[in-house]
Amino acid sequence: MKSKKARAKKPAKVSKERLQGLRERELIDGNTACAYAVKLCRVESIPAFPITPQTELMERLADWTAKGELDAFLNVMESEHSVLSAAVGSEMTGVRTFTSTGSQGLMLMHEILPIASGTRMPIVMICGSRALSAPIALWPDHNDFLSCRDFGWLMLSAEINQELLDFICISYRVAENSRVLLPALIEMDGFVLSETREPVEIPKQEIVDKFLPPLRLEAMLDVEKPMTLGTPVLEEYQYFKEQMQAAMNNAEQELEKAFKEWKNLTGRNYDFVESVWMEDAKEAIVMIGANSTIAKAAVRKMRANGRKVGLVKLRVLRPWPEKALKAALKKCKRIAVVDQNISLGKNGIIYSEICDTFRNDGKTIANYIAGLGGKHLGIQDFEKVFEDLEKARDGEKKWLV
Amino acid sequence: MAGLEEDARKARAKEGEQRPVSSIKDVDAEDYISAGTFACSGCQPVLGIKLALKALGKNTIMVNSSGCMTLTATYPFTPYKIPWVHNAIENADSTASGIFMGLKRKGLEKKTNILVYAGDGATYDIGFQALSGMFDRYENVIHVCYNNELFANTGYQRTAATPLFARTTTTPVEKKARGNLIPRKHMVKIMLAHDSPYVATACTSYPVDFMKKLQKASKIYGPKYIELLAPCIPGWVLSPEQGRKVGELSVQSGLWPLYEIEDGKFSLSMQPKMIPVKEAFKAQGRYSHLTDEEIDKIQEMVGKEWESYNKGEFWSVHEY
Repeated sequence: MKSKKARAKKPAKVSKERLQGLRERELIDGNTACAYAVKLCRVESIPAFPITPQTELMERLADWTAKGELDAFLNVMESEHSVLSAAVGSEMTGVRTFTSTGSQGLMLMHEILPIASGTRMPIVMICGSRALSAPIALWPDHNDFLSCRDFGWLMLSAEINQELLDFICISYRVAENSRVLLPALIEMDGFVLSETREPVEIPKQEIVDKFLPPLRLEAMLDVEKPMTLGTPVLEEYQYFKEQMQAAMNNAEQELEKAFKEWKNLTGRNYDFVESVWMEDAKEAIVMIGANSTIAKAAVRKMRANGRKVGLVKLRVLRPWPEKALKAALKKCKRIAVVDQNISLGKNGIIYSEICDTFRNDGKTIANYIAGLGGKHLGIQDFEKVFEDLEKARDGEKKWLV
Repeated sequence: MAGLEEDARKARAKEGEQRPVSSIKDVDAEDYISAGTFACSGCQPVLGIKLALKALGKNTIMVNSSGCMTLTATYPFTPYKIPWVHNAIENADSTASGIFMGLKRKGLEKKTNILVYAGDGATYDIGFQALSGMFDRYENVIHVCYNNELFANTGYQRTAATPLFARTTTTPVEKKARGNLIPRKHMVKIMLAHDSPYVATACTSYPVDFMKKLQKASKIYGPKYIELLAPCIPGWVLSPEQGRKVGELSVQSGLWPLYEIEDGKFSLSMQPKMIPVKEAFKAQGRYSHLTDEEIDKIQEMVGKEWESYNKGEFWSVHEY
C-alpha cells in the first residue's frame, strides 16, 4: 500500500533557490571531500592507518575530531589488517564505521575483506588507488581496487571529487539497508583526485539527515540481547553465499532508489553508468575513474570534427550494472574498453566483464591497457584509441604506448 | 535449602552482577556456555571458557580467535549465552579494539568486559602484532591466552609456546630430531613490558585461582593479560580423564608457576611442592621419548627458574 502511494506521488522538487540556500561550494581535494561526507553521514567510529594517497583524509578527520567539529572516535591502529578487523568489531556494536586505505594497505586487508562482507557489516571504505608494488610506485591504477571484486563488497568508482562525497552518502544508505547489509568500497584515484582541488558542493546537514537514517543493525553484539557472530559452518556455506548474491541483487534496486532520492534532495543525477554522447555513437570507450574526464574531452573534440563517438563511464562495478550497460551501448557496434589495470596472463579486468555482458551481441570489442602506475594519458591518447578502434578486430588486445 | 541458594545465585547472575569467588562454593551456578560442544572429551580450554564466563558474568562480550574454540559455536548451534564473536586467527585483539571503540561511543567501555580468548598460536605467533597494538593503545580488554602449547586445531604443530623437547607434528622425534629444540618465548615478560596494569598466569586445574584473577582483572581499567595453562588431550597424548591431573602436576613440579603482577609488583599465587618434573611428564605421550639426561636438563632449568622466582626476581627468569 505504502509503496503504491509513494509511486503515485510525484517526488517533491526542490527549487533552485532553496538548493542554493541549502548547500555551499568549496574548492577542495578528494581527501577533504571524503572527510566532509564522513562528517555529514555522522560516522561515529574511524579506525585509521596512514598510507599514501589517503593519509590526508585521516589527518583531516583527526584534526576535526581534535577540534570537536567531528563527534567520532578516531583510533590509530598498528596496521591496515587491524584497521579492517577493528572496523568489523566496531560495526558489530551497531556504530556507524568508516575507514580508508589503498594499494599495499588494501592488500594487507585482503584476509578480512570477505569476513567484513560475510558477517554482513555495512562498513564504508575509501580505496585511494595506487599501483601495486613491486616496483613500488606512487601514482594510481586500478589493480588494487579491482582485486576486491569477488569479495561481496559494493564497489563504486569516482571520476571527480563531487562523486566521492556523494558516493559515500549513497553507499551508507544502501549498505545499511536491511535488504542489503554489505560493505562498500569506493575508488578514489590517488593524487589525481585525492590531492587535486575541484569545486565541490557540500550539502547541508539536514539534507543528509533526511537521506540517511540512523544505523539500526539487528545482528549485533549486545549484552542485553546476546548473539553469536562469525560462526563456522559446515555444508551450509553455499547457502550463505546465495544469501549474499541475493543481497547484491537487492543492492541494485536500492541503489536505483537512492540515486533517485539523492537527485531530489541535491539536484545531482546519478546512474549506474554515465553516458556521454551515446544517443547516436557508432564507437564508444568504456572505462572507470578520473581519466574519464580526459576521455570525455577527446570525445568532445572528435564530435566537433563530425565523428560519431561516445563514452560510457561505469560508476558502479558491484553489483555489475548489466541492464544499464546494455541500455547505454545498445546501438553502439564498436567498443573500446580502456583498462587502467591488467590481469597478467589475460587482459584488462573490465574488458572480460564487458565481453560477458555483450556475448553473442555482434559487437566488436577491443581492449586497451593504459595508464598503469599513473602513466599520463592525454586527449591524443584517447583519439588514438578511437582511430585504432575503427579497424580493430573483435577481441583485439593492445597496450597504449 | 540448596535449591533456594541456587535460585538466589541465578537471580544475581541475571542482574549481571559478578559473584566474588573466594572458594569453589562461591562459584556462580549460572553457566554462560552450555554443555554439548564439539570439543574433545576432557577438553581443558573449554573448561577455561566455562570458568572465565562464570567469573566475569553476564556483562561480557567474548572474542575468539580461530581455533578449536571457534568450533564450539558451529552453525546452526551456539552454546553461548553472552555475545560472542569470531573474526580470524590473528585479529582477535584488533576486533576487540573495534568493539571497545563502539562501546566507548555508547559510554559502556567501563561497564562491559571484553574478553579475548585466544590460543597460544594466536597470541605468541600470528596474533602478536594485533595484541601488541591493543596493549599499546591501552584499551579496556582482558586477553586470556589459553595455552595448550601447540596449534591444536590443525593437528598439533609447534608454536612459540611449545616447551623444550616436546613432540609435535612439526617437531617430530626421529633418527635426526629430538622434538622441539627452541625454548619458549617469555610472553608474560613481553606483555608486562607493554606497561600492562595486570598480568597473571593460571591453570585450569586451579579454577578458583583463575577466577579470582579474572575478577581482579575486570576491576582494573586497561589491557590485562592472563596466561592460562590448558592441557590439550590429543595434543599432549593424554587420556581424557588425565587433563586436570596433568595440569596440577605441571604446577606442582614448578613447570608452570602461578603468579600475578599487579602494577609491576610480582607475587607468587602458590608455592609448588616441587615434585620431580619426571612425574609431570609420565602421563604425557609427547614426552615419552625423553632420556634421563634430557629430563635432568629440564629439571635443572626449572630449578634455576625457581631460584629467581623465590627471590622475587621476575625479570631474570629464563623459561625452559
